[in-house]
Amino acid sequence: MKDRLAAALAVSRADYTEIRIEHTWSAAVSFRGARLESATAGEDRGGFVRALHDGCGWGIAAFTSLDELPAMVRRATELSRAVRLERPIRLAPVAPVTAEALLDLDGDVRGVPLAEKKRLLEGYNAEMLAVPGVVDTAALYRDEVTEYWYANSEGTALHELRPEITLSGTAIARRNGTIEKGLESIGFRRGWHGAQQQAAGFGEAARRAAALLDAPSVRGGAYPVVLDNELAGVFIHEAFGHLSEADFVYENPQAREMMTLGRRFGRPVLNVGDNGAAPGLRGTLPFDDEGTPTQDTPLIREGILVGRLHSRETAATLGERPTGNARAISFRHAPIVRMTNTYIANGAGTFADLIRDIKLGVYACSAFGGQTLLENFSFTAAYGHMIRDGEVAELVKDVVLAGSLFQTLDRIERLAGDFRWNQMGGGCGKGGQFPLPVTEGAPHVRIEQALIGGDVPA
Amino acid sequence: MIERVIELVRARAATGDALWRRAERTSVTFESGRLKSCAATEETGVNLRVLVDGRMGVAGTTAGDADDLVARAVASAALGELVSLTLPTTSSLPRIATFAAPAADAPLDRLTAIGTELVDRASREGCQIGVSIEREISQTRVVNTAGADTTYQTTTVVVGLDLARFAGDDVLFVSDQYAGTELPAPADLEAVVRSIDERYTPAQRVVTPPDGALPVVFTPSGLSAILLPLEQALSGKTVLQGISPLGAKTGERVFDERFSLTDDPLVPGRPDSRPVDDEAVPSRRLPLVERGVVRGFVYDLETAARAQTASTGHGVRGTFGKPRIAYSNLILGKIAEGRGAGGFGGGLLDGIADGLLIDDLIGVGQGNVISGAFSHPVALAYRVERGAITGRVKDAAVAGNVYELLQKIGEFGDDGRWLSGRWAASLLLEGVSVARR
Repeated sequence: MKDRLAAALAVSRADYTEIRIEHTWSAAVSFRGARLESATAGEDRGGFVRALHDGCGWGIAAFTSLDELPAMVRRATELSRAVRLERPIRLAPVAPVTAEALLDLDGDVRGVPLAEKKRLLEGYNAEMLAVPGVVDTAALYRDEVTEYWYANSEGTALHELRPEITLSGTAIARRNGTIEKGLESIGFRRGWHGAQQQAAGFGEAARRAAALLDAPSVRGGAYPVVLDNELAGVFIHEAFGHLSEADFVYENPQAREMMTLGRRFGRPVLNVGDNGAAPGLRGTLPFDDEGTPTQDTPLIREGILVGRLHSRETAATLGERPTGNARAISFRHAPIVRMTNTYIANGAGTFADLIRDIKLGVYACSAFGGQTLLENFSFTAAYGHMIRDGEVAELVKDVVLAGSLFQTLDRIERLAGDFRWNQMGGGCGKGGQFPLPVTEGAPHVRIEQALIGGDVPA
Repeated sequence: MIERVIELVRARAATGDALWRRAERTSVTFESGRLKSCAATEETGVNLRVLVDGRMGVAGTTAGDADDLVARAVASAALGELVSLTLPTTSSLPRIATFAAPAADAPLDRLTAIGTELVDRASREGCQIGVSIEREISQTRVVNTAGADTTYQTTTVVVGLDLARFAGDDVLFVSDQYAGTELPAPADLEAVVRSIDERYTPAQRVVTPPDGALPVVFTPSGLSAILLPLEQALSGKTVLQGISPLGAKTGERVFDERFSLTDDPLVPGRPDSRPVDDEAVPSRRLPLVERGVVRGFVYDLETAARAQTASTGHGVRGTFGKPRIAYSNLILGKIAEGRGAGGFGGGLLDGIADGLLIDDLIGVGQGNVISGAFSHPVALAYRVERGAITGRVKDAAVAGNVYELLQKIGEFGDDGRWLSGRWAASLLLEGVSVARR
């Protein structure tokens, strides 16, 4: 394959050309209630070529017909020439690298029979179905191994083997007209071994769904709010992480002003970063999809904006350095600036210390979903507890956290010393590319005051 | 390849159906007002479902190996649940225009010219303009062992225009699009430019939101939060699962009698129209709600078999995974000619002393959607006072229950239009709870 890539690159008359080839074997099993929905295996294979002539725009060809590789290179170079630019596209320099990065497959899923995968998920699904009050479940197992080749005209040549495995469960509890759900979601850049011994989380999600049947809705209003590790991670990814992606600001002077390095975003306790090189996480890879090595990039240091996430193009435009964040979900797409493993760095002290002086507050846990629209966000916690007189009190439901990013970041007043990565499934969506494997991590985070929407306002 | 796949299935004395699809897409992207990239993508894939001893198996591939695909589908069937699917036989298909030769043949510079024109017309001081133009030509073939063999071609053209304005920490984002099987006519582009202008101009001024149970107008795009619970409830899948609030209400009047909802895969010129679904079931128009009365639900083959009813021709499949239920063109009320005859607000603002006009909400799809309850912060909304828009509101949230609100609707606007796969006009609802933050 390497020789084929080199031969195809030789065809190109563009000033810069890159080729990606991906071959993915995947398997998926799903249950709905006690019934198997499907157990299926897929094979996906294709390529991507991107070319750039000086003074022109990007020309892109994506295809499943791999035997036509040189023709696709010619097509991409023609498309590049069709775009004349006044301000040329420049790429920040990255040292050429040749690497064989065959990640540990940790039990190659391609060698495990589909029946084994079904049996594994059936067991986790049974954990949920066994919980009294649970009337329905949905459980999903998915694995894949991608063999990946990348080469560009500057001399970079990569060959990687990338495993991934995700598990998820939804338990639905119902009594009379009330319906509640509990979610479990697990994801690793690992193989078959990573999917074992995960039953406990499924049972816990189901017991929570049942417990929520008796829980009251939280009373809407402004409270001191403590986010658990998972929700704090989702929050930093959704509400802040996307603004730190440089393609959001690199050609927009007003947005750049909003995201000026040196601007204060929070109090000195707040440190945020994105680390594509952290070992063993879903967002981790040795190189991004432009052949740039991944790294730990500080974004907020002691409350001050100090960095952002780059592709080679955004880095050149802003005169900064590439960070290894140009990623594509598959050969069908061009790499765009994306997060990898985004985190709020650890604080100090215990969770008990964090809530000790809260008279009345809300402890918001886990996430059913979240959406941000630039500076506004809305997150639905999976469940919550009231905090009363410094203690975690009754379970509450319908905990929706909404507000302005800038206000909320600035109100983060304390962080516990219990940092944890969320090893979750799912993924991030942007520009029509979903789901991209990412991870988030955070300690428990205390927000001085935030708006909780609970029962429907009268 | 698909003939070979079906032959191999027959050779194993199994039954099954397969979908072959080839799509070629050409797209041009303008970022911050300038042409930035051109892309050509082509993809061919086959999705196969087999029934072996009554058990269903599924496999997909883009790698083109028929033997391997069939082997994997059969292995999947060994684990599959029992289901008695009746595969449709060949029948005469409805005639429907899904392919426009001028769109298929349009050269790259014709597509970039559309973008350049939009950038010129929509540009304004202090705003960033983004435009994307995408033209897809696709061929679909569905074949099964019962003898059905259907094929059709489609063209899809999507032109998107968005405008962003940053002022301090205030971000204003307005977007709209054209989608059709044909290249956009001048009037279509005019409608997109006008729509952006109508949304942008009154949004520059930020005003305090109102508070209380108020009249709220949902624009065709703002209606998503209102229609999503119904889309879930009218799916045969949720009925089968016993979680649809409408599941046992066929023939009952549940909504205002001015409220009707229809799925119609046979609307000419729409990208989601097709003569046949992805399981070879011929397309037909399906009333879901007629004058407030629940009439029907959408089914694919498997869900219909399990529910002991017939497929309505709403099976959709990609290269990977098994067929699932999806709507084609969802029509609220009746399709009127043209698009956006009425202005922004659809002529519904006149009688409103104090209320909201909602174009976009945050978090639609989160939470317990199927119950009909919704609660969302606004993404793009305007205050309406004494019959006119007075400015944009930011820190407000709306909440209610769709099943209560739609029992008595205010009025439909005169601005009916297509928005992706949905036709709707603005809708005035009374007594929506609006909260200021």
